[in-house]
Amino acid sequence: MHELRIAEDLSAIVVEAAKREKLSMVTKVNISFGALVQIVPDIFEFAFRETVRDSVAANAELDLEIIPVKMRCIRCRREFLISENNFACDQCNSTELDIINGKELFIKSIEGE
Amino acid sequence: MEIKIMKNILDRNQNRANEVRELLAQKKVLMVNIISSPGAGKTTLLEHTCEALGARFRIGVIEGDITTDRDAQRLKKYNIPIVVINTEGGCHLDSHSISKVLGSFDLGNLDVLFVENVGNLICPSQFDLGETFKLAVVSTAEGDDKPGKYPMLFREARAVLLNKIDLIPYTNFSFENFSQDLKRINANVPLFQISCTKGDGMNGWYEWIGGQIEKR
Repeated sequence: MHELRIAEDLSAIVVEAAKREKLSMVTKVNISFGALVQIVPDIFEFAFRETVRDSVAANAELDLEIIPVKMRCIRCRREFLISENNFACDQCNSTELDIINGKELFIKSIEGE
Repeated sequence: MEIKIMKNILDRNQNRANEVRELLAQKKVLMVNIISSPGAGKTTLLEHTCEALGARFRIGVIEGDITTDRDAQRLKKYNIPIVVINTEGGCHLDSHSISKVLGSFDLGNLDVLFVENVGNLICPSQFDLGETFKLAVVSTAEGDDKPGKYPMLFREARAVLLNKIDLIPYTNFSFENFSQDLKRINANVPLFQISCTKGDGMNGWYEWIGGQIEKR
């Protein structure tokens, strides 16, 4: 259900940017979410539709890219993708890791005219 | 025409969370964001923790609930400052609601602030409140598959409490499955096996949280 709150914040950013850039219509919103945030794309799309209703972004297409979870091993510096929730280095097996990608809730750009 | 924005969608929440974190660090208050499913035992944990540590530390509580102040009523007898945040349907607390109620506490007279988040394993893990750390509470009756299903929370938690271990004989909970799953997600996280109602394992938890409060 956090999809709704995130959609609200997203549409506020979109509407504000459209106003600033003097767009009369937003045609596309490009966003990327990390795989760890467990957003359900269909629910998010639905929530977004509700929150942009009657705005300049009412008919905007939502382009959602899911970013895989990527970590850096603190011990051997290797960067690797996490599969099946196995948070250990696939080279040296260390569990001391820094997260690089996977927690994003990011708006990249909007398109419009 | 494409307009680059390149911005965290939850920027507003993050900015306010950073302010809260800074204020609490200044005031030397440890803030613990307690996250679990409904019914895992967050309020019971707080009752026993207030009982055991109330003389040693100055404790405050923020009770996040969708509606009612029942949890807060249960903690009233410990004579500690409690503020209730009713989210009116919202599935998580956010940094704005925390920031608003911080003014109701005398932060200079507080060592630790426990925030009981709304019962939910997904949404609350997404919203930084400005806490010092997150604490995951899970009970055996929910099944042993929770770490694998909710990796974000278990990855981010500073400690995990497995509550209701006295009920294991009546469930199909496998501690081996649970701890294997948890180790894959967060190998070094302290895990406390407890029963809030029977008292098992509680001393280990008190000792650990006491240490965290002392070194804040």
